[in-house]
Amino acid sequence: MKKINLTCIIDDDPIFVFGIRKVMELINFSDGIMVFKNGQDALDNLRPIILSKEKLPDIILLDLNMPVLDGWQFLEEFIKIPCDKKIIIYVVSSSINQEDVLRAKSYKSVSDYIVKPVTIDRLKEVLSNFEKVS
Amino acid sequence: MIKKQKEIVDSVLDGEENYLKKELYNLIKQEDAIFDFLQSAAIDGLWFWDLNRPENEWMNAKFWTTLGYDPSKMPHKSSAWQDIIFKEDLKNVYENFARHVEDPTYPFDQVVRYHHKLGYTVWIQCRGIVWRDNKGKPSKMLGAHTDITKLKKAEESLRKQINSFQHIIDGTDMGTWQWNIQTGEVVFNEKWANIIGFSLKELSPISIDTWMKYAHPDDLKRSNELLQDHFAGKTEVYEFEARMKHRSGEYIWVLDKGKVVSRDAQGDPEWMIGSHQEITKKKKDHERNKLFIEQAPSAIAMFDIEMCYLAASQKWYEVYDIKDNNVIGKSYYDVRKGLGQEIVAIHQRCLKGEVIRDHEKEVKKENRPTKWLLCEYRPWYSDESKIGGIIIHTADITKIKREEELQSLLEVTKDQNRRLKNFAHIVSHNLKSHSGNFEMLLDLYIQENPHVEENEIIQLFRKASHNLSDTILHLNDVVQINTTLDENLKPIQLKQIIDKVTRTVSAFAIESDVKISNNVKDNIEVLAIPAYLDSILLNFITNGIKYRSNKRESFIALSAVESDKYIELTIEDNGLGIDLEKHRSKLFGMYKTFHPNISNSRGIGLFIAKNQIEAIGGDVDVESNIDCGTIFKIYFRHEKN
Repeated sequence: MKKINLTCIIDDDPIFVFGIRKVMELINFSDGIMVFKNGQDALDNLRPIILSKEKLPDIILLDLNMPVLDGWQFLEEFIKIPCDKKIIIYVVSSSINQEDVLRAKSYKSVSDYIVKPVTIDRLKEVLSNFEKVS
Repeated sequence: MIKKQKEIVDSVLDGEENYLKKELYNLIKQEDAIFDFLQSAAIDGLWFWDLNRPENEWMNAKFWTTLGYDPSKMPHKSSAWQDIIFKEDLKNVYENFARHVEDPTYPFDQVVRYHHKLGYTVWIQCRGIVWRDNKGKPSKMLGAHTDITKLKKAEESLRKQINSFQHIIDGTDMGTWQWNIQTGEVVFNEKWANIIGFSLKELSPISIDTWMKYAHPDDLKRSNELLQDHFAGKTEVYEFEARMKHRSGEYIWVLDKGKVVSRDAQGDPEWMIGSHQEITKKKKDHERNKLFIEQAPSAIAMFDIEMCYLAASQKWYEVYDIKDNNVIGKSYYDVRKGLGQEIVAIHQRCLKGEVIRDHEKEVKKENRPTKWLLCEYRPWYSDESKIGGIIIHTADITKIKREEELQSLLEVTKDQNRRLKNFAHIVSHNLKSHSGNFEMLLDLYIQENPHVEENEIIQLFRKASHNLSDTILHLNDVVQINTTLDENLKPIQLKQIIDKVTRTVSAFAIESDVKISNNVKDNIEVLAIPAYLDSILLNFITNGIKYRSNKRESFIALSAVESDKYIELTIEDNGLGIDLEKHRSKLFGMYKTFHPNISNSRGIGLFIAKNQIEAIGGDVDVESNIDCGTIFKIYFRHEKN
């Protein structure tokens, strides 16, 4: 059984970020959390980390609707970066549009689509899936 | 004898009184008849001839001056004039003299020609009377000359003029006619007869009946009407296009024109003269135009200069809604009464040669939708410069006008649709994230402060938050129903999908003790989007279970029949029923619930189901009786239509 060392949250909504951090603390989801406020911010910070092979996140929770670079654009750029480690990506969005769900699932690197609000149970599920796979 | 003669000559030359003159003067004094005669006839020359001594003849001075000679130098001898008269005329003079002598009632009166001293011809009307002695023997003759040269010249020039007119008539191929209206006598020229393939000789005897015989019987009536108008002074000239039977048996067209030239004392017309001109070719061209117009697929009509119909296409009658099925010959203004001055002005402009395009007009008729017409007016020419009338070409642009209106409506709708999509986006994303945050924060707060869970306000707060999320979810479902294009519809086996849906609700059905029977036949397929069809069936079936009656054994029965247009799916239950009199109008409305005692009744199912049915081109109908049951009929499209 493996523990999640580092979780990366890419979301522009501070309330959501506050909430999810609280939930993660409650269930002891991960050792460390890094937060980026949009796709561009995430890309700018993640790219040097990946290239210098520093400590990479195990899981990315990616919002879709964000300013500057949205979730989709981030995905397009992110999958171009060569990376040895498998990073699990969850799309986390308020949208229940079937189109968005299908599109998210069309990315090989996207594990699942989580509809907001994210409940404690749903997050526990993610955690247990991670532990099983690892 | 010779001596005596010499005396006479001398006396003339000497200017002495001639014995004959003396005698004449004496006679004039005694005889009134002689005097009267001189009064009336002695104008351009007077002569008195001794028939017993025919070489002696007295001529007055005017006699000679008329012929250009000096009277003082001319002897009073008959030989003097015999030298200068035309020899061929002299013969005639002798003949007439002989007859007059024999029979005094035969007039000595003839036109003779003299050679004027200057060489030209002088025309003289020469009249005379013989004077007899008491034994009845002709003894003297008195004569008078009238110079008719001017008259003759005028006659000559008149003849030349007539000849030139004749040439014009011949040149223009005109038949001519003269008609004495009172006697029926007529004179035709050769061409008149030639036009219908005869010579004048072949047609003789010629009378007004000749015209009656060859003119087309149908045209005679109209011709007579026009003639009466002309006789009555209503028209300046008589003009009519008539058909005449040609020798070949075919009818030809002539332009018949004429004018009354003389009237009798009572003012009734006497002589009329006129012409015939063959216009068969022109008429045939016309007929061809007419045929062309009549068969034209568009609304087109041809008018003469008086705006009377010459031809009109079938479409013309339709566009203008003309009931009268033969308007030919009738005035435009009589056929379409109550037209404005504007239209008349346009016609007048066109008749003066202007082409008027793209004239839009609105035609309003009682009990009929307003029509929009687009007209073009063009003059047509009967020959190179003469306008024969106008041609009007009309297009019914009502549809185009309506389409323009629809187009602008469509623009508005598109705009609204765009905003609706924006709204949908706001609902599905932004609103939802806010309500999601509420829910999450509230859960966390309770998690961290377990003691507040008992707090009533917190409980209500939580409930409100859930309801908000639910409502947003429902709204989402609704905005996600898009009217679907045909290509997105797939044929689906109705029986199979009903079985599938029934399985998913089987636990609920068994628990509620509701029997579901699927009586749909195997081969029936409907056109639908699978997810929608699932949702629709699920809604109706769960409704049937939810609103069952506990008083009896409940069932839901599904059956389907196929018609030309639709597959009609009937979902029947024996549940609580709905009061349709009260609720029919809002049955499929959002958040409408009708059974307050049934929990979990959200009032969203039927609303979404109906929207989904309509989105795939179907329809839904309902019959219900309270406490008896409800029958929903759902109409789906199928592949065969």
